[in-house]
Amino acid sequence: MKQKKAQMKIQQMAFMLLAVTLFFVFVGLFIFMIAYSGLKDSASTLEEKNALLLVTKLANSPEFSCGGSFGNEKTNCIDADKVMALKTNSNKYSNFWGVDSIEIRKIYPVAYGVRVECTLTNYPQCDIIKILDNGISSEFSNFVSLCRKENIEGKVHDKCEIAKITVSYGGDNE
Amino acid sequence: MGEIMNKKNKKAQEEMVGFALIIIVVSIILMIFLAFYLNREPKKETVESYEAESFTQAFLQYTTSCTDNFEFLNVQDVIYECDIRNTCANGEDPCEVLERNLKGILGESWNVKTGSPVKGYELNIVSSKWVILNISEGQKTVNSKGSAQYLPKDVDIYFVAYY
Repeated sequence: MKQKKAQMKIQQMAFMLLAVTLFFVFVGLFIFMIAYSGLKDSASTLEEKNALLLVTKLANSPEFSCGGSFGNEKTNCIDADKVMALKTNSNKYSNFWGVDSIEIRKIYPVAYGVRVECTLTNYPQCDIIKILDNGISSEFSNFVSLCRKENIEGKVHDKCEIAKITVSYGGDNE
Repeated sequence: MGEIMNKKNKKAQEEMVGFALIIIVVSIILMIFLAFYLNREPKKETVESYEAESFTQAFLQYTTSCTDNFEFLNVQDVIYECDIRNTCANGEDPCEVLERNLKGILGESWNVKTGSPVKGYELNIVSSKWVILNISEGQKTVNSKGSAQYLPKDVDIYFVAYY
């Protein structure tokens, strides 16, 4: 009789220990969950900043930027004439920026009909300049002004339009 | 006496089994919740603030059809011309040019049609004297990203995109 009661007590204690252990495990997991979710948030913020830096860095790099060709030095301004020259030599730059693809797409003014990719023959009557095109991975884009020199009635004028530069790259560049 | 003890023992055993079951069920639910929470993708914001800032900088450089005596003016210069109620050298009204171009730029850059992640936008251009231009489209939601640009000659530009 006494033995059975003792067994029962031992069982009760075992279950209590189990319950207490589980409780602490859950508390630990909860704390871990909060810490881990914060880590993910900061990782995504860093990724966003990295992408911003990459796109902005590209748009303002000497190979792309307007520099002083269109009046004062401007930020987020891409020289379309320069980029077209770069496009013809894009194979030399395939590993230079560490990205998979770079595309500049004209947004405004709107081209009527189908969007046309720029070549040396149809430039500037085109909409999309593809500098690198090695498949699509994570895409990041930013607004830029796409400027070029235009000859109107024998006079050279600056012509800036609105475009979006899209850069895609894999995780290995992060 | 023995029967009463047996009954008590069985009852206690049943209680313990029930308690254990509750713990198991609760732990499984918590585990599922935890797995779901940890596996979710970090939410990427539809409109980043740098996009709004870059957009403002980009449209200010856009070349319009309004001219002075030498060249075609960009949006920033047209804003100044509109502010002082001047007229373009080719006879156009700078305020009209500004409104027409900015409506077109905004419409093409920020799609607020049904199903689009961007729900609406608002652009305000104000000077110390008056509101030069106010364009808004779509819905104003609680989630927004914006930029403020302070130009010389007391002209401020505020752009907000709602998503």
